[in-house]
Amino acid sequence: MISFTDLNFLFRFLPGLLLIYYMVPLHLRDVVLLLGSLVFYAVGEPVLVALLLVLTVVNFLCAKGGKGLSITAVLINVAVLAAFKGFGFISENAFLPLGLSFYLFKMISFQIDVTRGQIEERITFRKTALYFTLFPQVISGPIMRYGQGDFGYAKRFDLEQIGDGLSYMVMGLSMKVLLADRLAILWNDLQMIGYISISTPLAWLGMLGYSLQLYFDFWGYSLMAAGILMLFGYEFVENFRHPYGAVSVSDFYRRWHMTLGAFFRDYVYIPMGGSRCGKLRTVINLAVVWLITGIWHGSGIHFLVWGGVLGVLIMAEKLCYGKLLTKVPVLGHLYVWFVIPLTWMLFAIPGKEAVLEYLGRLFPFAGAGGVAVNTGDILLYGSRYGLLMLVGLILCIPAVFRAIDKRKRNPLVVLLLAGLFWMSVYMTANTAGNPFMYFDF
Amino acid sequence: MRLLKKAPLFLILLISGIFFFLTAVLGRNTVYAQIPLEPEKQPVLSVVFRGLKEGIHPLQVFDSERMCDEVQKEEVSESAEVKQEETVEGMPEQAKIPVLNGESQQKPIVDKEAVTKVEEEEIQAAVIPTAEPVPYSIKNIRTEPLRESTREEYLNHISADIYGDTGVLRAAEYAFEPVTENYFDDALFIGDSRTVGLRDYTDLSDHAYFLCETSLTIQKVFTREFKGKGTLEEVLAAGDFGKIYLMLGINELGLGTTEDYVASYTAVIDRIHELEPEALIFIQANMHVAEEKSKTDKIFNNQNIEARNRAIATLSDNIQVFYIDVNEAVSDENGYLKDEYTYDKIHLLGRYNDIWKQFLLTKGVKTKSE
Repeated sequence: MISFTDLNFLFRFLPGLLLIYYMVPLHLRDVVLLLGSLVFYAVGEPVLVALLLVLTVVNFLCAKGGKGLSITAVLINVAVLAAFKGFGFISENAFLPLGLSFYLFKMISFQIDVTRGQIEERITFRKTALYFTLFPQVISGPIMRYGQGDFGYAKRFDLEQIGDGLSYMVMGLSMKVLLADRLAILWNDLQMIGYISISTPLAWLGMLGYSLQLYFDFWGYSLMAAGILMLFGYEFVENFRHPYGAVSVSDFYRRWHMTLGAFFRDYVYIPMGGSRCGKLRTVINLAVVWLITGIWHGSGIHFLVWGGVLGVLIMAEKLCYGKLLTKVPVLGHLYVWFVIPLTWMLFAIPGKEAVLEYLGRLFPFAGAGGVAVNTGDILLYGSRYGLLMLVGLILCIPAVFRAIDKRKRNPLVVLLLAGLFWMSVYMTANTAGNPFMYFDF
Repeated sequence: MRLLKKAPLFLILLISGIFFFLTAVLGRNTVYAQIPLEPEKQPVLSVVFRGLKEGIHPLQVFDSERMCDEVQKEEVSESAEVKQEETVEGMPEQAKIPVLNGESQQKPIVDKEAVTKVEEEEIQAAVIPTAEPVPYSIKNIRTEPLRESTREEYLNHISADIYGDTGVLRAAEYAFEPVTENYFDDALFIGDSRTVGLRDYTDLSDHAYFLCETSLTIQKVFTREFKGKGTLEEVLAAGDFGKIYLMLGINELGLGTTEDYVASYTAVIDRIHELEPEALIFIQANMHVAEEKSKTDKIFNNQNIEARNRAIATLSDNIQVFYIDVNEAVSDENGYLKDEYTYDKIHLLGRYNDIWKQFLLTKGVKTKSE
C-alpha cells in the first residue's frame, strides 16, 4: 500500500483519507492527515516507525529550545543518517529505514530554518510532526521546506486545486507505470544477456532507455507526490523542471531532483562559501557537495564515482566551457544528451569491470570487444521499445509538457488523462505492482 | 456542473470508478467467477482489469444471464480441443504459473476448493489431445509412475518426484557420439526463453531452425502462433526435420502436477512423432536455476525442476526418443546453475550459451544415413 501505484493506495487509502479529511472540521484536518501519514508509514515500516516518531519528538523539542539545541538536533540527525549509511558501507546486511534520508533532510532543513529565523510562525507539535511525516513525501520526497507547506493556514476544500492535483497525480502515475516500468524491462534484459554480448547499437539504446526510465520513474513519482499533496490543499512542490532540456550538467542538476539540489545549495554549498571565496574554495566546495550527493544516493562505491564525476564536470563547466555551452544552446543540448546518459551508466552499473565492459560496447574501438555478440539484437529490441522511447523523448521536450499542463481542463486532455489512468490501473492490476511480472521464462 | 467545469478529470474518474466497481460487484459470481479475488488484499474493481486481460469485456457483465447460459452450454457440449484453447488462454491469473515474483505464490487462495476445482478442470483440458491413438513403440516401454502426487503437493505447487531415477538411468545407458555443427542442419529447436538465448547467442541458428518464445509452455506448444513462422504443426508440415529438440517446463512449474506435465509432454511427443515419424526427438532436461533462486523460491527451485525432468526422462526409448541433460555442463556439483553463468539466476548469460551448444555437440545420435 505504500507505493502510490498500488491499487490499495489508489482506491482505498487515498479516497478514504480524503473523505475523512474534508468531512472533519477545518481545525482537525491536520490531525487527520498526521494520523493518516503515520498509518501509511507504519504499514511500510511497522517497527521503525518508532524511529520516525522519536526523531520527530526530539526535533520538535530542540526547535523549541533555542539555537544551541537546534544545532544539536542537526548533529543528531546527521549522526543517525551517517550511522545507517556507514553501516551500509561495511555490511551487506545493512538496511535503511524507509525514507530515512528524506525525512532526516527535512528535519535538518527545519532546524536550520528555525535558527536562521526563517520560520516566523509559532511552532507547534502538530504542525512540526505533520511536516516531517506527510505521507506523500515521507518515502521518497520531495524534500519540501517547512515554509512551502503553509502550515499556519487551514486547508479549505478547493475543487480547482483538487482537480489540478488529480491531473498531476495521473500524469505521474502513467509516466511511472506505462513508461518507466516498461523501460525497466529493457535494462533488465541487458543484464540478463550480459553487457559483453550486446551489440554497440543496443548498448546505446540501452543507455538511452535507462536514462529515460530513471527520469520517468522519479519525475513520475514526484508528480504523483506533488499532486497527492495538492488534493489535501497544499501547493504544488516542483522537483523536476525538464532536465533533459538543459544546456549543461550544472543546468541539468538545477532541474533534476530540485529539492535535493536546493538543499545542498542552501545548507552545504553556500554556508561553505559557495563560489564567492576564490577558485580553490569553489572547487573544494563543489567536491564536498558532490561527494555527499554520491554517498546520499547509495552505499556502493559506484555512487561515489558517479557523484565525483559530476562534480568534476560541473567544475570544468564553471572554470572552462560553461559559458560557451550557454551561448550555443545546440552545443549545450548535444553535450547534455551525450554526457548525462554516460554518467547514468556509472550510477547504474556497480563494479569497475562491468562498467568498462559496458563502455567497451558503447565505444567498441576503445574496448576489448564483445563476446558472442548478436548483431541483430537491435532490431528485436528496437521494435519492442522504439515506441516507448519515442514517447519518452517527446515528453522530454519542455514545450510539450508545458502545453499539456496548460490545458489540463481541455476535454481532450481530460479524456487522455482518464484513459491513461485506467490503462495504468490495468497494468498494475495484472502485474500485482511488480513490472517484472511481465517476465516469463 | 461546477464539478465538470472546475475538476473534470475528478468527475470522470469518479463516474468511471463507480462504474467499474459496480461492474466488478455485479459480475463477481458470473463473468468474473473464475478470476480469484482476495478483497482484503486488493480492491474489488481489480477483477474488471484482470478480466479484461483474459478477454472479458466489462459490458459482458450486464449481459450476464446470457453469459451464464453460454457457460453451461459450453460445459456440456464443447469438444476438448476448443476447451483447451479457452482454458489455457483464459486461465484465471492465480491459476496461471507465477513468474519470478516470489510473493504471488504465497498468497493464500480465498476459496481454495473452488479455485482448485477450476484448476483441475483446466489442467485436464490442457493436455494436448491427439486425433487418434498413435501406434508407437515407445509406449510399450514407458515407465509407470511409482506413486501419485499428493493433494498437498499439488496445492503447494510441489512437483512430486513420482518416477524416481528409472528414466534418467535408462537414458544414461545410451552411448551418444560427438558430432559436428552440420549435424544440426536438419534440426528443430523448440523452447522457451532459455532456448531464445541459445538461438540468439550461438551460431546454432545458422544451422538449425528455432521455434522458441518467452513464456512458452508444453501445454501451449501446439496452439501458439510463432511470429512470422506459423504454428508448430505448420512448421512440421512444411519442413523435413531429422532431429527435434525440446526444452519446455519451467514456465508451467507452478501449474498442475507432475502427472499433468508428463501427460502433456507425452501428447506433444506423440503428436510430433505422428507428424514427423522419422525424426529423432531429443527431450532436454529443463535447465536448473542458481542456488540463490533455488533456495528462496517455492516454485522455481531445482527440486521441482528435477522431479519433472525425471518424469519426462521416462519418455525416452533410446531408439528414437532421447533424453539429454544440459545441467551436466552448466550446473555445479550440487546441481545449481553456476552463479558466474547467470545474472538473473535463471537464464544463461549470452556468452555462456556456447557451453550448451558444445554440450549438444557431444550428444549426437548417428542414424544410418549419417
